[in-house]
Amino acid sequence: MSTVDLETYVPHIDHQYDPRDPEVALYVDEVSVRFGGVQAVSAATIACLAGQVTGLIGPNGAGKTTTFNVITGLEAPTSGKVFLGNEDVSGLTPYKRARKGLARTFQRLEVFGTLTARDNILAAAEFRRGWSKDKSNPRAVADQIVERVGLQHVQHERVDMLPTGLARLVELGRGLATHPRVLLLDEPASGLDMAESEALGDLLIDLAQEGIAVLVVEHDVDLVMRVCDRIHVLDFGRIISVGFPKDVQADPAVQAAYLGAED
Amino acid sequence: MDQLLQLTVVGLVVGCVYALTATGLVVTYTTSGIFNFAHGAIGMLGAFSYWQLTVKWHWPVLLALPVVLLVLAPLFGATIERIVMRPLHGASVDVTLVITLGLLLFFLGAANYFWDQGQTRVLPELLASWKPVDIGGVVVTWGQIIIVLAAVGVAIGLRFLFSTTRIGIAMRGVVDDPDLCAMSGASPARIQQLSWAIGAGLAALAGILVAPKVGMSALQLTLLVINGYAAALFGRLKSLPRTAVGGLLLGLLVSYYPVYVAPHLPFSTTFGQLEKAVPMIFLGVLLLFLPSARLRTATTVGRVAPTVPGLRQSLAGGGVMIVLAIALASALSSANLLIAGGMFISALSLLSLVLLTGYSGQTSLCVLTFFGLGAFAMAHSGTSPLGLVWGGLLAAAAGMLVALVTARLRGLYLALATFAFAKGMDVGFFNFKLGSGQSLQLKRFELPLIDTSSEKTFFFLTVVVFVVAAIGVLAVRRGRWGRQLTALNDSPAACATLGVNTTITKVVVFTASAGIAGVAGAMFGAQQEIITPSQFDVLGSLALLLALRIGGINTITGALFGAFTIGLFPEMPQILGHFGVTLPDKVQLTFLLTGIAAISIGRDPDGLGGQVSKLGLRLRQQFGSSSTPAAPSYEEATLVHG
Repeated sequence: MSTVDLETYVPHIDHQYDPRDPEVALYVDEVSVRFGGVQAVSAATIACLAGQVTGLIGPNGAGKTTTFNVITGLEAPTSGKVFLGNEDVSGLTPYKRARKGLARTFQRLEVFGTLTARDNILAAAEFRRGWSKDKSNPRAVADQIVERVGLQHVQHERVDMLPTGLARLVELGRGLATHPRVLLLDEPASGLDMAESEALGDLLIDLAQEGIAVLVVEHDVDLVMRVCDRIHVLDFGRIISVGFPKDVQADPAVQAAYLGAED
Repeated sequence: MDQLLQLTVVGLVVGCVYALTATGLVVTYTTSGIFNFAHGAIGMLGAFSYWQLTVKWHWPVLLALPVVLLVLAPLFGATIERIVMRPLHGASVDVTLVITLGLLLFFLGAANYFWDQGQTRVLPELLASWKPVDIGGVVVTWGQIIIVLAAVGVAIGLRFLFSTTRIGIAMRGVVDDPDLCAMSGASPARIQQLSWAIGAGLAALAGILVAPKVGMSALQLTLLVINGYAAALFGRLKSLPRTAVGGLLLGLLVSYYPVYVAPHLPFSTTFGQLEKAVPMIFLGVLLLFLPSARLRTATTVGRVAPTVPGLRQSLAGGGVMIVLAIALASALSSANLLIAGGMFISALSLLSLVLLTGYSGQTSLCVLTFFGLGAFAMAHSGTSPLGLVWGGLLAAAAGMLVALVTARLRGLYLALATFAFAKGMDVGFFNFKLGSGQSLQLKRFELPLIDTSSEKTFFFLTVVVFVVAAIGVLAVRRGRWGRQLTALNDSPAACATLGVNTTITKVVVFTASAGIAGVAGAMFGAQQEIITPSQFDVLGSLALLLALRIGGINTITGALFGAFTIGLFPEMPQILGHFGVTLPDKVQLTFLLTGIAAISIGRDPDGLGGQVSKLGLRLRQQFGSSSTPAAPSYEEATLVHG
């Protein structure tokens, strides 16, 4: 029950931006991914600007996490390119992309479960100290981030003992410890209560104001509408809508995708 | 020309045997996801049962053959599936590996128990009385013809099973998607049980066919299947036709090698000696050409991270151990000091596995190879204590090489690659450099002011080396490096997305771990003053990994427990003898007990060391003010897919 007519579908390219624009921090250029017979992502194009929060929304199975995997290099696209800060990074391994300022969190947790919350962030700060020219003290960095993401009360707990929501914050903190220019967040608010979710929203806006390009996958519509500057909607692997939050919300194609309406 | 034909016939026959064993492995692996290291041991038990029926009890071949192949072996396979494998559903590669290794040792022990290996047994070839056939000038026995016919028959039979029968199609369904298969009414457990039954039957068939040629040696028959690994890998552990082709290719290669390949290589004498290592080299090359594995994103569930002692605690622990060592040194006899010292040397080599497997999650089946290289270096260092350094360095260099070559491999494939390396070094290096079946004498190193020739002093020295290494490993665990290793173990994918070059991390930890094993080996050489190739056999490496699993893979306590388990088993008969209990031969006991322990404890990945940690935690919760939350909420993480 695809809401997209496969015959007449034209890839929805974000013509507004070009991978070479200086304000573009991340550009996903017509990326397609095919798993065996399943087309997970079809020619998806996404532009993320420095200093903005970009939303990537869509129903379950739309290909959002696969897109994240392609951007970070964990999965190879069938075709298409990824640009980081105007540079084509399509051929680079995940760790080289990370060193160019790309960080992410995972929808299915990928925490260092046997370390404490603070040690997760400390480890990331130490990794960065190892590969970057910045030799600031990792412990100081870790303490500062623990406070910023609001994990002081659980910082000495092992992360696999933490509730999912807090573990997601650990992943966010871990990403921040690498001083990213582009931050990908995969459902960061799932598992958080209202107040925590609100604090997260404030944090995302703050991060964008510091110049980071944030790309967030999230199901919490209120949060997305509040924090995002622009939104891309993915359905069955295709970008079906791009624009400002209120325009996207009003787009009939988007409503159809979410309601699963046919014709 | 005649020679070519002759070699081709031999090669094809050998290839058919490889194909048969590999086919059994692949059938089991594809449906159950478990690579059965005990496959050869099952074949060996099949051959011995067949011998028992035909030679010992004089059953007619036409009765004994179907009884073993169609009744005993399949029942045996199905039972293993039901009792040991089914509860493992969803366990990590690492755990299933240890359990099948445990089964291998267990079956070997059982065979030793029922069929005294000191006795010689002969299993006549099938149709031995029939006159050999002349094919174009090459004389072919009926035994050889039967091997080829059996392989062709099995290939046709499986083809029929998988493409036309209901159950066969269901088996293929399980491979693709067990959950979907379950929804459509087929029971994945039943199907997996069937695949174990078929696998065991094929193993027994191969065992019975080759036993007349190889001889009725439990060890030889068990290890024979290892050559089949290469064929199975040629089929990517998936495709039966490719597996068969791989078996035939390997058979031909092994047959042609000494005549057509080795003489044309540079250093032809050296390469000529490598004849027995050919299947392992084939396996190694295949592994190198495997497509790169995706970064593992699953994290181990329910693993206890033990509390890591601080520097003061580890110094205190080390001090206590040294005091105990002094007390023991004065209490024990020289012979017992040798045994006790041996345990600490084992513990030192297990320490290298704690670092490699326990902390960073890399499975290695070649720890004794590094150990042996250390001993080899010591043997060539005369009485200089620098032998310890050379031993460590030589082993570290080998470790680095292995890590660089296997950088892309993970899990089962890494285990197989290290296995191939161990087996290859075993037949291609140790058996020559230490004198095949013989031994190499060496001198104990000398130190100024210390009389190392006294067993008391040397024991004390051994304990000191262990304590220093243990404190060092713990210091690593607490520091930046330890965090990096733990991170790599918990989530390689997250490490990569945080900018870590996981290959470099892996190479460094492999090198360091091999270095520790090398020092242990050098100590071993100096302590024993004589070394033999069999001491560095790949089976020993398997036993060490098992012992560490039993003890607890990621703790110093685990290394000590493991080493004592290994060290004490052979002494059990003597110890129990004091209480008037008589036990069977010590070797059997080692295998039996290790196997049983691995099977039972393999289900609890934390081992004894983990139990101690859990107990400590519980005690602290009960009596102290602990902030540890009682109920862990853990979301089982498997793969990133949205």
